[in-house]
Amino acid sequence: MTGVGVVYRRELKAYFNTPIAAIFIAFLVLFLSFWLFLYKPFFAFERAEMRSLFAVMPWALLVFAPAITMRLWSDEFRVGTAEVLSTFPLHTRDIVLGKYLAALSVLGASLLCTAGIPLAIGLLGEPDWGPIIGGYAGCLFIGAFFVAIGCFASSLSQNQVIAMLVGVFLGIIFTLVLSPMFAAILAAKSPALARLVEQAGVISHFDSIERGVLALSDVAYFVAGSVLFLALNTFNVEWKKY
Amino acid sequence: MAETSTGPTPTPTGGAVVTGLLVEAIDLHKTYGYTKAVTGVSFSLRRGEILGFLGPNGAGKSTTLKMITGVLIPDRGTARVDGIDITGAPLEARRRFGYLPESLPLYWEMQVDEYLRFVASSRGMKGAEATRRIDALIERLGLGRMRKRATGALSKGFRQRVGLAQAMLHDPPVLILDEPTNGLDPQQIVEIRALLRDLARERAILFSTHILQEIAAICTRILVIHAGHLIADDTPDALARAVDAGSWEVVITGGSELGESSRAELGLASPTRSGGERIYRAGSTIPASDAAERLAAESGGRLVAIRRDHATLEQAYLRLTGAAPGGGVA
Repeated sequence: MTGVGVVYRRELKAYFNTPIAAIFIAFLVLFLSFWLFLYKPFFAFERAEMRSLFAVMPWALLVFAPAITMRLWSDEFRVGTAEVLSTFPLHTRDIVLGKYLAALSVLGASLLCTAGIPLAIGLLGEPDWGPIIGGYAGCLFIGAFFVAIGCFASSLSQNQVIAMLVGVFLGIIFTLVLSPMFAAILAAKSPALARLVEQAGVISHFDSIERGVLALSDVAYFVAGSVLFLALNTFNVEWKKY
Repeated sequence: MAETSTGPTPTPTGGAVVTGLLVEAIDLHKTYGYTKAVTGVSFSLRRGEILGFLGPNGAGKSTTLKMITGVLIPDRGTARVDGIDITGAPLEARRRFGYLPESLPLYWEMQVDEYLRFVASSRGMKGAEATRRIDALIERLGLGRMRKRATGALSKGFRQRVGLAQAMLHDPPVLILDEPTNGLDPQQIVEIRALLRDLARERAILFSTHILQEIAAICTRILVIHAGHLIADDTPDALARAVDAGSWEVVITGGSELGESSRAELGLASPTRSGGERIYRAGSTIPASDAAERLAAESGGRLVAIRRDHATLEQAYLRLTGAAPGGGVA
């Protein structure tokens, strides 16, 4: 088994042998069900679609992903297990990747557990499945990006709460600051800057995937963003040795 | 290269420097902010040696061990384990030692054998080989009843044993242990010492401690570190003798303590008490016995002896680190 696999399996066990993963999954399913069926008057519109749910998803994942990842590194540094881990013949980048994939699996499992919502909608009416599948794909991509941000944030502090807050803060930069709304304000003064701001943020890329257009540029954006933060994570773990 | 070799068993590689030494610390330096934690520490260790690394808290013991294990990268200097440079080929070097950190970090939610299985996979051990090794260590370290317990629910003594099992799992030629008997009860300390003595036959063991009996009990060699500097490297006996050399003490029973002027006349330091006796340490010249007798009588006491000061390891250590009353840094 490679280093990535060893670390992945340990982290996944840590999520599922403790109530952590179950709590996250229950929380996400309950929140999204409440949002779609009670808060947004799904039944009043009489339309079998999940648009309102996917509109809130980036914001939900913005908080949810750092909550999953907050313990990944901060706990290792706080307890000191990182010290032992660093004496095993494993590459730091493999450890980083193993942890990332474990957290991403928990996020994937959480999204899978919300499948009851589209299934219920399928029973109630005849939804257009394209946008729903596109919406889930968008969630997975934006989730993967936020999980990478969360992993990096977790390596910054021994305190899980601080790690989560930093993760949310970085997420907010990519969602709210680098957003189409902010770009619209900038557009009057500098259209070029406005385009840059919109392209650098996650919302415009999420929206186009959610619409069902799986463009290479959007996929590349999320992959590159995730790789960047995982590289920062690796760098930060190595840097602590100096 | 480190990247391409597999398996936990140490195999000589092209990068190894063959010196017969299992651990070499070469001019290690480390600074934290403005604090010099370790300055120019060099020493080496051969197979069969148990090296006790001694020093007060904050002297730089843990920092030195962390640099040898690659947990920290030295500002200057380097370390080699079994001839492999820890910064040059870290993965290869890491296969050749086991490390037990001072704080005994474990994943609290994992069961003992689950944790050891994780360590085995991390070290590239598989299936039957891993099972055999884990079973043998669980047996040897008396962890049988704790196998299915979560490591977070173990007492400190058992956590220490799990930590030792972690360090020994891949049967490395070098063991580096930071305060391995810290917090254990006397029975456990005796057991761990016996284990270390037994293990050292085929290996080199480097461990840090601030418990002196430990050094006297099992070490073949002792290193004393103080304020980041190595101030002694010798056998425990030789060290006690070296510090001892040339110093005299005056023993007086009864009466009151000698005044400062009397002590100055004889060149004595302030006394330590032992039973009803006051023991005054003198320098390397023998104090005049008639004067000592007279001054003892004046203080209402009686001169018992003027004798060679046979330093114990404790005294040697305290004098070396400058912590003894009246004792300077040797």
